[in-house]
Amino acid sequence: MNKTHQDSTTPDLSRRSLLQSAAGAGLTVTAAATLGVAATAATHVNAASAASAASATPDNAAASADKSLVVHVRDIKTGDIEVFSGTNQTRVRDRALAARIAKAIS
Amino acid sequence: MSSHREAPEISKDPVADSTDVYAFVSPDKPGTVTLIANYIPLQGPAAGPNFYEFGDDVLYEIHIDNNGDGRADVSYQFRFSTHVADPGTFLYNVGPIESLTSANWNRRQSYSVSENGKVLASGLNCPPCNIGPLSTPNYASLAATAVHNLSNGVAVFAGQRADAFYVDLGAIFDLGDLRPFENLHAQYGLNAFSGPAAGVNAVNHLNVHSIAIQVPISALTRSGHPTIGVWTTASRQRVSLWDADGGTTVNSGPFRQVSRLGNPLVNEVLIPVGKKDQWNSLPPSDDKSFASYVTQPGLAGLLPALYPGVFPNLAALSSSGKPRADLEAILLTGIPSGIIPGFQNFTGDTLADMLRLNTSIAPTAPDKQSIYGLLGGDAGGFPNGRRVTDDVVAIELRAVAGVTYALVDKSFTPDAAANKLTDGLTPASVSSPALSQFPYLGTPYSGFNNPS
Repeated sequence: MNKTHQDSTTPDLSRRSLLQSAAGAGLTVTAAATLGVAATAATHVNAASAASAASATPDNAAASADKSLVVHVRDIKTGDIEVFSGTNQTRVRDRALAARIAKAIS
Repeated sequence: MSSHREAPEISKDPVADSTDVYAFVSPDKPGTVTLIANYIPLQGPAAGPNFYEFGDDVLYEIHIDNNGDGRADVSYQFRFSTHVADPGTFLYNVGPIESLTSANWNRRQSYSVSENGKVLASGLNCPPCNIGPLSTPNYASLAATAVHNLSNGVAVFAGQRADAFYVDLGAIFDLGDLRPFENLHAQYGLNAFSGPAAGVNAVNHLNVHSIAIQVPISALTRSGHPTIGVWTTASRQRVSLWDADGGTTVNSGPFRQVSRLGNPLVNEVLIPVGKKDQWNSLPPSDDKSFASYVTQPGLAGLLPALYPGVFPNLAALSSSGKPRADLEAILLTGIPSGIIPGFQNFTGDTLADMLRLNTSIAPTAPDKQSIYGLLGGDAGGFPNGRRVTDDVVAIELRAVAGVTYALVDKSFTPDAAANKLTDGLTPASVSSPALSQFPYLGTPYSGFNNPS
């Protein structure tokens, strides 16, 4: 897995969980805790970097271990994956992980 | 209009679709400004059993730029929460709702308001929708209790209101028909109209959901710089996923802007359809890339074609290719001093669509107001901010038709018809009149009586 940036709020991607949906050119997956591999972040974006001041509102809690994740595999071949939790967004590049997700949904 | 369903994508997401923004020095509290952002367009009042409500999953914001860079210096954020007392009933209410704490009210909303991320208040009650004489008796007084006075002179209200905008949508979007002049329309050889007709207010008897905040002027302006730029945005989290097992929608990721509104009609009429949703996603500071649609407006070319022989001077101006510096000033920079004697709301060279309000100009007394605002010699109205009753359709039609170009090019003579353009409506076309106090928008139409 390539990593260009790691953030302390990166969700723990250590345990496999539920795959609920797939859609679009890639796969979009929700995971109650996650996906069977350790992952590190490539690009981490949270609401503070959004166009608005959304992040600062109290209702926007940071990602926590008991929150669901949404994983969007943008491109299975390149392993381009976005992970969403709470108001956070992380982008990773992991072809093996993308392949495992694709296999799980197939 | 002025921004109801103005872009293809946001038209499918009414909960996040802004319809109008108002900004004016409060006539009854001139040390404050009132900022109003309306959402959820074209609400039929008889909307039971699930009456309209704000989106719990939408971040609503009202922004103020006070240094002219097209970026927010002060932002107010509004987040809503829906509460269901008894999920076992299909009813919105199980008896008359006579107070905001009524046990008869089954599905209600509250909200928090924050300033630049700092919570000012939370748990503020919205009023219910106006249902009818049995469910919401004494609606006006009930809704008045949903005006919340916060610390530091701030007041807020969020809930259903009558749409104060007036526009003949049905005619205007029938190939630019203005009913009072439709006998002059080219009519494509169809001979549909034989004479002028009265305008029809397409949004009369329809409601919106309003977010209104009244703030001391001193909290929004910088010393010596009384003009502010105002706009609203709605944002959604990047991911929205229908969880069929849970019967709910899962939202995740950072918020991204999906709706924006400053000046009325800009995205609606000036921005081309292929760029409207992109425009909605960007801040005013990025509007330089859209400036040509303001300075070379397609509508200015259409009017002479739709009304042959009526706008020869406008046709010549449009075909000359001269940029419309007048529209750029009105909509993108504010009007510099020296153009209109004694008036300016210029915020600098940054091209940004914001509703600009010079807060140093006192409210115009009601008997001195012109619904045509600055075009009517009334500096208390649009485009110096926007009051609830301003006829922004006529003002912008007249401006696009060339009335204001003469201000920047003394050699230009506006066509005689330009200063008479109207869709035939006035504030009297709104059945629920504006209030004289905050939140100023009229009592929403009840489902019992509308339609009737």
